[in-house]
Amino acid sequence: MRVGVLGIGKTPHKIQHDKSLKDLAVEAGRKAMNDAGVAPSDIQMLYVGNVGSVGFNYENSTGLMVAHHLGVVPAGAVRVEAACGTGAWALHLGCVAIASGLYDTVMVLGCEKMNDLATVEGTSIIAQAADSKEEYFSGLTFPSGTALTARKYMQTYGVTEEDLAHTSVKNHYYGAQNPSAHLRFECTVEEVMKSAKVADPLKLYEVCPMTDAASAIVLCRPEILEAQQNKPQVFVTATSMGSGTWYQASDTLEDAYNLFARPAARAYEMAGLSAKDIDVAEIYNSFAIQEPLGIEGLGFAKKGDGWKGAKDGSTWLDGKIAVNPSGGLLCKGHPLGATGATQAVDIIEQLQGIAPPGMQRKDAAIGISACRGGPGSVGAIHIYQREG
Amino acid sequence: MTVSAIEFSRLGPPKLHLFAMKCEKCKELSPWWERSHCYKCGGDTLTEFELGGKGEITNYTVVYYPPREFVGMEPYVVGHIAMDEGVNLPAPVMGVDPDNVEVGTRVAATLRRMKLGHEGDIYYSYKFVVDDDPAPKKKAPARKPAARKPAARTAAARKK
Repeated sequence: MRVGVLGIGKTPHKIQHDKSLKDLAVEAGRKAMNDAGVAPSDIQMLYVGNVGSVGFNYENSTGLMVAHHLGVVPAGAVRVEAACGTGAWALHLGCVAIASGLYDTVMVLGCEKMNDLATVEGTSIIAQAADSKEEYFSGLTFPSGTALTARKYMQTYGVTEEDLAHTSVKNHYYGAQNPSAHLRFECTVEEVMKSAKVADPLKLYEVCPMTDAASAIVLCRPEILEAQQNKPQVFVTATSMGSGTWYQASDTLEDAYNLFARPAARAYEMAGLSAKDIDVAEIYNSFAIQEPLGIEGLGFAKKGDGWKGAKDGSTWLDGKIAVNPSGGLLCKGHPLGATGATQAVDIIEQLQGIAPPGMQRKDAAIGISACRGGPGSVGAIHIYQREG
Repeated sequence: MTVSAIEFSRLGPPKLHLFAMKCEKCKELSPWWERSHCYKCGGDTLTEFELGGKGEITNYTVVYYPPREFVGMEPYVVGHIAMDEGVNLPAPVMGVDPDNVEVGTRVAATLRRMKLGHEGDIYYSYKFVVDDDPAPKKKAPARKPAARKPAARTAAARKK
């Protein structure tokens, strides 16, 4: 599969009380269209990833709303939802739409405005992306469900909380340099360990913030991009989605591993690549523990070794593979529906060579983004390649 | 989230007594909510299987930022309890120090107030407390099912 990346755009990732969901979506969408050099009338289909506008903003049918305000009318528009994998799912549908041959140019947009509500209300809305009637009836939340996974990991592989803290140190080192990031400060292992407990053993610096943001990508038939050789020749060469379990407490580490490993195997096959070909990766880490799990699921490290790269340097910018040089969700924040699209934009910037200073992987040519969502419910893998 | 009276009548019973769902095909025990599909073998007939109410903590977390309905109870411990029959259930564990929870602690189920609903309605469910009885010698002894007849509550029966 080969789908051209014609343009990208994203808003800052932060709390934005001065902007509505609509404002964010329009900002990202316009940036992407300007970057692509297309007019709204050139967009033939719009996929809008949004998780919780019904709860966060009292708005529904976000896809149709965004189409109107972007002027992408009368093209088709639809809202896509698959928990935290939403943005990646919108990208998947965009790729499928181009690959099918039905459309020449489509837009994929992810947006979320989470800070219209207080944290406790927001937490309750997020919890609806998991089971809220049965498992979560026992008082679990997304952080505490993931905390159970973290302890399983620690028990199984004999890893300590200090070991896992290195992941946050690495992410915050890069997050501090990312002008689009929500949290921009560096921290040490000691500071991670001393940060407030959220859901034991997860601590504050191992948890992402709630963020308002939008990201957009204009995709096209490969011939359209090839005809514009002045543009960076970046293509999406694999898109692979998978589902998993709906209950987190009963998840095994094998379930968590497979959530990425299964779609990743299909994606590598689709692109004709293997894990060792990848230069740069954006791996979902709304909670720090998900990064080592993702590193293992994608085949960058053996089971139980995924945390080591952040400590020994092999997943830093100049390491064997650069993992989350954007600072990951821990620093960018996790605007639910936007996240998958933001990951894609960040990888595309890497391959285009325009990532901000201090975040650019040297000669990055092949990148991967891995998004997940729900308790253990959706895994989404995309591979991107620069040609020429 | 508001839970209607209808929802409570559907979800209340499993929270007021302890049972697992047993796959008729592979005999795997699943938590009570797995009524339609065995995640292990894909079997579609699951029957209620009464639990004795004892088990041990295999995993736990301490919740410091609770969802709306649990505000005021934090910090509280939610354990993953391996029941003696072999099924795992998440549930709050009471009477343990959040800073000193030990994996392997024996616990017993008890019926407690779980949370307050939107309209002040009280939700009851099982929680666990520390149990002084030693672990059973044999692993997974099938406890005698209680007198209650489980036959009518199969997934198949529900479809009719």
